[in-house]
Amino acid sequence: MSDLERELESELHRVLDPVTAMSTIPPRRAPGRRSAVRALLGGAGAALSLKLLTGVAAAAAAVTVAGAATTGSINPADWGQQVSQHVSDCKKALADGQHGIGDCVSSFASQHGQVVASDARHHGQGSGNGDENTKGNGSSDGHGGNSNANDHARDKTKDPSTTGEREPTDPPIQTTVNVPPQR
Amino acid sequence: MQSIDDPVKDKPAPETYAPGSEVDFDRLYRNTYRRILGTLITLVRDRATAEDCAQETYERAFRKWKEWRPEASAEAWLHRIAINVAISDRRHQQLRQAGELVRRLGRPAPGPDPAMVAERSDLIKAMKRLPTRQAAALVLRHYHGYSNREIAAALGIPEQTVASRLAAARRQLQAVLRR
Repeated sequence: MSDLERELESELHRVLDPVTAMSTIPPRRAPGRRSAVRALLGGAGAALSLKLLTGVAAAAAAVTVAGAATTGSINPADWGQQVSQHVSDCKKALADGQHGIGDCVSSFASQHGQVVASDARHHGQGSGNGDENTKGNGSSDGHGGNSNANDHARDKTKDPSTTGEREPTDPPIQTTVNVPPQR
Repeated sequence: MQSIDDPVKDKPAPETYAPGSEVDFDRLYRNTYRRILGTLITLVRDRATAEDCAQETYERAFRKWKEWRPEASAEAWLHRIAINVAISDRRHQQLRQAGELVRRLGRPAPGPDPAMVAERSDLIKAMKRLPTRQAAALVLRHYHGYSNREIAAALGIPEQTVASRLAAARRQLQAVLRR
């Protein structure tokens, strides 16, 4: 046995013997019970959960922004009401046997986006007291440039791919777009 | 029931256990906990982590307890699991550091603890810097007194690999301690 091995053995015993001799044996942890921190921070499951939560948060944010841009309000109840009202109006406007309310609903979204955008510009030039949490039509400095709703509404008016070729005043029922029947 | 190919003469006769018996598993836990903890203290960064890893070891072992073969040494089998737990722990060490900090918040300052001596020892510090499997081979050989054959059986590797792993570990340890 080499010097190193002897030294290793004596040192390991010097250091570890008191540890193992003094340790009172704790009760065995029940299967499936992990410490909270370990459960939160450890394992592939935790990493997956984190990714999932991030994805859900991002999706929720996207829905909020899209909804606010469409309806001018960040209150989901407002969007829901306005959109379902408009969908039922579009359905009523369809003649018997006709299908396709896509254009009708789309025109509503574009029209509303323009209204919100012009409203925001109007408020931005004024006193700057816009309520950006509920209306999204002006930041407190009076320039109306910081609201998400404003930004998205403005983007919609600028982007020809979303609104340029399909003005909100187009007749809604003329095109034949196949949309599955609404249930 | 248990048989070891090359038993160390000083060791008491190994206890026998019935696979799947919860009573026997509890006995195995009481008989081996300290030694498994001793091994883990040399492999992971501190006492608290070693205790956590020891519990994780017995949890994993309990899940596989019905499949354990009495022909193998129960303690060697536990050591194999413990080493795998330690390897996983080192991989997750960065995440765990944040967790440990949270766990310790608000705790009173600990009194003198023999484990702190272990954590301060240059040799143990140097061992923690070795690859986990090399450090484990050193502890099994020089602290628990396993033969190379027993280590090979415990870790499921050829005896020759144990010898080369031990030699590499000693070389690295010497180099680290000389610095």
